[in-house]
Amino acid sequence: MKIDRRCFLSLGIGGAAGLALSPIPWKLADDSAIWTQMWPWTPVPADGETTYVKSACTLCPGGCGISVRKVDNRAVKIEGMEGHPVNDGGICLLGLSGLQLLYGPTRVKTPLKRAGERGEGKWVKITWEEAISEVAKKLGDLRENGESSSVACISGTDKGSVPTLFKRFLSVYGSPNFMRMPSVLDSYELALSLSFGFAAQQGFDLEKADFILSFGSGIIEGWGSPVRMIRAKSSWRESGGKTVQVEPRLSNTAAKSDKWIPINPGTEYALALGLAGVIITKSLYRNDFVKGSTSGFDKFAGLVLSAYTPDAAEKITGIKKETIEALAVDFARAAKPVAICGRGQGRAQGSLGELMAVQALNALVGNINKEGGIFAFPNPGYMAWPDYIADDIAAEGIKKERADGAGSGNFGYAKNLTNRFAETVKSGKAAVNVLFVLESNPLYSLSDTNTVKEAFKKIPFIVSFSSFMDETAINSDLILPNHVYLERYEDVYVATGLSKPVVSLSKPVVSPQFNTKHAGDVVLLIAKEMGSPVADSFPWKSYSACLEEILGGKWDKLVREGFWTDGASSTPVFKTSSGKFEFAGGFIDLAALFAPVNAEGDPKAYPLLLIPYDSMRIASGYIGDPPFAVKTVEDTVLKGKDALVEVNPATARAGGFSEGSYAILKTPKGSAKVKVHLFDGIMPGLVAMPRGLGHTAYDNYLAGKGINVNELIGTVEDPASGLDAAWGIRANLIKA
Amino acid sequence: MSTPDDKTKGVSADTGGEDAIASFKGVDEKEQGEGPGGFVILFFIIGFVASLIIGWVVFPKLLYSQKRQPVDFNHALHVETVDNGCESCHIFREDGSYAGVPKLAQCADCHQEVQGESPEEKIFVEEYVAKEKEVPWLVYSKQPDCVFFSHSVHVKLAGMDCVTCHGPIGESTSLKPYEENRLTGYSRDIWGKSMAGIKKNSWDRMKMDDCAECHEKETGRKSSVQTDKDACFVCHK
Amino acid sequence: MKEEQSKEKVKKFGMVIDLDKCTGCGACMVACMAENNVPFKEDESKKLDSITWLRIYKLTNGKPFPDADICYLPRPCQHCGGKGEHGHSPCVSVCPATATDYSKETGIVSQIYTRCFGCRYCMAACPYHARYFNWWDPVWPDGMEKYLSPNVSVRMRGIVEKCSFCFHRYQLAKDKAYFEGRREIEENEYQTACTQACPAGAIAFGDLNNPKHAVYELKKSSNAFRLLERLQTNPKVYYISGREWVRRAGDNYLKDEKK
Repeated sequence: MKIDRRCFLSLGIGGAAGLALSPIPWKLADDSAIWTQMWPWTPVPADGETTYVKSACTLCPGGCGISVRKVDNRAVKIEGMEGHPVNDGGICLLGLSGLQLLYGPTRVKTPLKRAGERGEGKWVKITWEEAISEVAKKLGDLRENGESSSVACISGTDKGSVPTLFKRFLSVYGSPNFMRMPSVLDSYELALSLSFGFAAQQGFDLEKADFILSFGSGIIEGWGSPVRMIRAKSSWRESGGKTVQVEPRLSNTAAKSDKWIPINPGTEYALALGLAGVIITKSLYRNDFVKGSTSGFDKFAGLVLSAYTPDAAEKITGIKKETIEALAVDFARAAKPVAICGRGQGRAQGSLGELMAVQALNALVGNINKEGGIFAFPNPGYMAWPDYIADDIAAEGIKKERADGAGSGNFGYAKNLTNRFAETVKSGKAAVNVLFVLESNPLYSLSDTNTVKEAFKKIPFIVSFSSFMDETAINSDLILPNHVYLERYEDVYVATGLSKPVVSLSKPVVSPQFNTKHAGDVVLLIAKEMGSPVADSFPWKSYSACLEEILGGKWDKLVREGFWTDGASSTPVFKTSSGKFEFAGGFIDLAALFAPVNAEGDPKAYPLLLIPYDSMRIASGYIGDPPFAVKTVEDTVLKGKDALVEVNPATARAGGFSEGSYAILKTPKGSAKVKVHLFDGIMPGLVAMPRGLGHTAYDNYLAGKGINVNELIGTVEDPASGLDAAWGIRANLIKA
Repeated sequence: MSTPDDKTKGVSADTGGEDAIASFKGVDEKEQGEGPGGFVILFFIIGFVASLIIGWVVFPKLLYSQKRQPVDFNHALHVETVDNGCESCHIFREDGSYAGVPKLAQCADCHQEVQGESPEEKIFVEEYVAKEKEVPWLVYSKQPDCVFFSHSVHVKLAGMDCVTCHGPIGESTSLKPYEENRLTGYSRDIWGKSMAGIKKNSWDRMKMDDCAECHEKETGRKSSVQTDKDACFVCHK
Repeated sequence: MKEEQSKEKVKKFGMVIDLDKCTGCGACMVACMAENNVPFKEDESKKLDSITWLRIYKLTNGKPFPDADICYLPRPCQHCGGKGEHGHSPCVSVCPATATDYSKETGIVSQIYTRCFGCRYCMAACPYHARYFNWWDPVWPDGMEKYLSPNVSVRMRGIVEKCSFCFHRYQLAKDKAYFEGRREIEENEYQTACTQACPAGAIAFGDLNNPKHAVYELKKSSNAFRLLERLQTNPKVYYISGREWVRRAGDNYLKDEKK
């Protein structure tokens, strides 16, 4: 007997037979199948107790109530708050994406001080104590040198307690330069102070209106409070309310309107005046209201009947006079007609004349201060602030001319002309030594980006309070990161067009994720660090103590229910010197008020017109579009990193372009490589481009995609008001 | 067509063939001479037995890692002192979801301080309650992420007993080691203690087929078009 | 117990979307992504591989300025009942892995990610492009996986996924009802994430068999239509539009053919 090859073979066969009868093959087959179903790198979200926190969204000025779903300590979903007077359960896609901002990679995680050149992206981490003492020292030195008025602040809004704290700080410190980002609210507020005679905000009782004439306002594209407006639009479908959209491009609003009337861009004022002329000629205006409650009618009528006859209006606007006449009749005969303006989301101010012309239509049909009409209500009085103490330096400083020129010289009525700020700083007309940037991104969102960049270079010390590494934060000297809205208490006042004021409370849904601090607390700490007399006006231990005090009795209700609303509608009052609605708003020369606004640029060199448009899917304010929102952008708007511009097929053919061909879009302000998208819904001769793309900051989900239209568009100063009246710019498409 | 080369190849191939036959015959002769080899059978048995041992004894030990629970909990002791059986501690939340293993706060209601003399309780109070740290319990019955299991429907609607699926864990005085499948990360209780998959009690195994079998038997639903059994989306997520 | 179960009414969950109310704002798309742990990547402009369970299509009437018109059409999974409502929807019929299934109890077409092996037959079969393939493993930027919901499994590379009518919400609603001793849930207890979010109130969701649910009446509107009805896939998503060109766009009609 010998152990040979066959024995080993036999051992192998025996082993194999044994293996087959053991669990190894069957169990391993099952387990490895399971293993391939659950790769260990696929995240498994931890389960836990589900709770909801009621809070408010601050991502746009819309002021929606939100209900945030949490699983244990994680926030997992944002939903609209049911029963909230603004949105009642509805929510927009930006609000839904909020958690991507909270947990996202673009957060500034700790206070940062610039290390390299501005914009280079080199930072050193510093402590909050170091950061605050540095700011306080800088401010202290300037104040001692009598340069307190060279400190400025640009804020996203001037409503609410935190902007008010900043404004209060500047007042006590000695600077008049609290500015908010420009928008059509500036024009509305200015128009109200002229025609109603007091500082007010315009409210629209749109849900109850039955005929809405919109001069380019993106009713369902983010104008006013976006979710509320979309809900209003749906309510008209049920109530039978009609909408007419006047604008040069078939926007979503235009497509969803009962009637779309294309108009030559920038001539909306002329249509409004033409309509007024028809209404007056045909005696369709509300005589009782016009006679009893308005002043300046004769003068107004004199102008429109001579200069804005239907024929004249047709020539300017490109709309047939029959259409104008029919529209005027429909508007005036409706039971509750309302005219609104502010192009798109109202990001541009527009000319005062345009607003006054639209407001005149509302006055003619007498829908002011009544159901289904427009209201003026005083600026929010829901906060009770204790008086502040201004010493001599403060009293002196606050009287100085503002850096943007608002409130002095030609622009005596204006409160904010932030649109002029970059130009005055760049040209050296205004000296700014310190700039605070709060909840805004001026380096991205102000028109004429190059001028803004030049202006920023002249400001030696820029402090950003941004929660995110946005364009302005990157180009600042110090970043004092704010908590994001899901980590902080803050009152949220709806500033845009509701029929009654609504205040909501933003609450900490989760504890702060990083080493950030509430901007309200930072102001208090800076004041404290500066000592008396500045500190004397800021007696609060913390921002939340301050908020609780100034909200008084409303605090409990806000914590409990999440919102507070003033039930009492404002009483119809005009506080002008005549005690009536002023058609002319105190302007002697009405022709100057209603002067046409031409687009910048030489028509020969730039035969086309570039107009920006707004989309719900592209956030164009302080907040950059989060990844979810970018994902919804159509491939006819953004393809890879290329921006597509809308061009009428006829215009494209004339220029030799077809769908998807590259072109250089040139304007007097700059040029950019774009792709052409043929769109039948746009007037020939126009090029349309969305706002909100072309970010250089933020993450790879947003940065470098498309073109920032603000780089291509400049400002056009309205001689009557100083507002930025630009609605577009002359442009040319050249083959690339 | 044949070339001289082909021919040469053909010849050599023929020679090779003869060689092969010759050598085969040789082997045959040897075999006949020495008789059938006992070693062959012996080796077969060795191989067979060895792989059975590896398969049934060694393999499970390699496949499953053994982990101790952070605190050795005595279920029997607790069941005696509470009024409402398992649901005294393993509660439903108001939204109908099942909280599973109690949170520290629940335990701390009674165990703010050490009550008895058990060293395990001392560990629990000192290491977890005092430090307000959740106990990282290892859950024997944890199903994978793709499973949506509703305690509400089984316990509240169908009135099933906890024992049916979890066994008499309430009677245990000590927690057995937690065995984790190194490949899948599942608890061994899902496949069951028996490697052969033999199931004596209803709680011995909790794989998908076990759920499906019971659903078929108890509900009789045939709503799935694909399987003619209960629908996939009843338990999957 | 068998008897008790049979007492449960057979449901047919479905949707009615009012295209005249829909503003194309995109809230439903994001609500869906946020609810269902849908991943995202750096470039999502290649729409063929961009996972959007609910996608809004932009329809145009093809007419030149100024007669051009646009309409938005949100497209979730249509949860086809198949010819004769026997549950032989196009995708269920071709799945070789029992990964997609039709429930006769709810009318919902399910997708079981752990069973799917990625053959993509179902994608080829689906006439609505409602199914999406995971060409890559999902990646969330550092820290962002914190917002993932435990109610929906995270998918991995190599499998197909699609809209589930937020089935987990049905499961959770039933859990609550059973806990409270109720057998049936109310209409408002089970609503999809898109329905809940829609600011325009354009989406109605409910049991198409239940006369008490809004969708029961809405689907009977003379302006209601379904997509590609001629394929007899029997979708459970209805659309309403007062505009004829939109209704015609719901199917492939010849130029001179009457609808």
